[in-house]
Amino acid sequence: MKQVTMRRLFAVGFVLVMLAPIMLRAAEPQDIIKYRQNVMKANGAHLAAAAAIIQGKVDFKNQLDAHVRALQTFTSDIPALFPKGSDFGDTRAKDAVWDKRAEFDKRAKNLKEKVAAFARAVKGGKREAMLAAFKDVGEDCKACHKDFRKKEEE
Amino acid sequence: MHSSRVTRTALFKLAAAFLLMVVAATPAGAADDVMQRGEYLFRAAGCAVCHTDAEHKGAPLAGGRALKTRFGTFYTPNITPDDETGIGSWTETDFDRALRKGRDDEDEYLYPAFPYPSYTHLTDTDVRAIWAYLSSRKPVHQENKPHDLKWYVSYRPLIKFWQMLYFKPGPFQPQPDKPAGWNRGAYLVTAVGHCGECHTPRNFLGGLEESKRFSGNPDGVDGADVPNITPDKKTGIGTWSEGDITEYLDTGMTPDGDFAGDIMADVIDDSTSHLTRDDRKAIAVYLMSLPPIETVRHEHKHNKKKHRKEDYE
Repeated sequence: MKQVTMRRLFAVGFVLVMLAPIMLRAAEPQDIIKYRQNVMKANGAHLAAAAAIIQGKVDFKNQLDAHVRALQTFTSDIPALFPKGSDFGDTRAKDAVWDKRAEFDKRAKNLKEKVAAFARAVKGGKREAMLAAFKDVGEDCKACHKDFRKKEEE
Repeated sequence: MHSSRVTRTALFKLAAAFLLMVVAATPAGAADDVMQRGEYLFRAAGCAVCHTDAEHKGAPLAGGRALKTRFGTFYTPNITPDDETGIGSWTETDFDRALRKGRDDEDEYLYPAFPYPSYTHLTDTDVRAIWAYLSSRKPVHQENKPHDLKWYVSYRPLIKFWQMLYFKPGPFQPQPDKPAGWNRGAYLVTAVGHCGECHTPRNFLGGLEESKRFSGNPDGVDGADVPNITPDKKTGIGTWSEGDITEYLDTGMTPDGDFAGDIMADVIDDSTSHLTRDDRKAIAVYLMSLPPIETVRHEHKHNKKKHRKEDYE
């Protein structure tokens, strides 16, 4: 009786150990993909929210700083969101993200600088400068999506 | 007496000088106006989006961009004024025929991958202006790449029948009961900007399904799922405001902060962001006035494809 239990335990353990790499591998990319999609969505949401304040559509000037700070935090290392192996599953990231890594890293760095410039413009508080800097950030989003994100249903 | 004569002489001189200025300025000024108008319309019509092979860093307007469709791959032609490989030997009449009748300088039928079913609604003045601007571009010597089409569409004369079925030539008809802004938007969307060419589903012969105008095309160019731009709340842009559309056509930002990335990003960069704010707004006004059409959303294909490929690794 005791021996049977032990043997069964060993068997289950053995199977688990054998399956572990597969299970871990299978779960991990989907999590990071979901995470980066959420971060990207949050970035978009903060940028859109900041734009609405700057454009005078809504009056939440006291929250503008927080939006911009969040944007700075979450665009500070975009390449880290795209580790090797996170290229399959439910993602629209193109293979170019990994195949043309140097270019991808450069674009991410450019974005970081544009966001920093946006933050400076917001600190300066001049409407025209803020609008221009916002447009610059958007340009980068668009350009990068063009080259590194698949269209729907590709 | 003396002083009045002086005044009169001076006045006369001034008038003469002014007249000379007007005479000298008018033709040049008018030409500039036509050129400016031409450039603006050239942008609005998005010519460069398809006629430049941006992906392979091709020369502006020298063509060669691949348009993958279910009828095969079209390679856009060179529309620079190069005599041999471009349209340098064309006359304004040839250009007009291509744009509004769908036939080239040798009277051959053109594939409707070139959006003449929309351009046919352009006004005389606008066709002339676009031609003036296009003729002023830098000629680029680059041979056209032949299309790579399915056998059943490779015989050009058959396009004549397609035209009989689906091509309704004729100028834009403004609706007098609608405001000027709406009419401007209608002209920009249906004639110049030819939005419906991508955003309307096509039947098995490639004709636009008029009853589903602007409701998107799940089988769009380059395999894209082209979105529904009717104001349907669930499947279209019914939750967008006029301002949202205007903003999107300027910066590419959607109301939830996403940014356009596919061919629409090119359209925004090369075309709609160069329009005046009023024109972008007119487009929004027109789109919002369309009848909302609900479309059936389908599952995203890319997931499955990725899984299939990776499952065996």
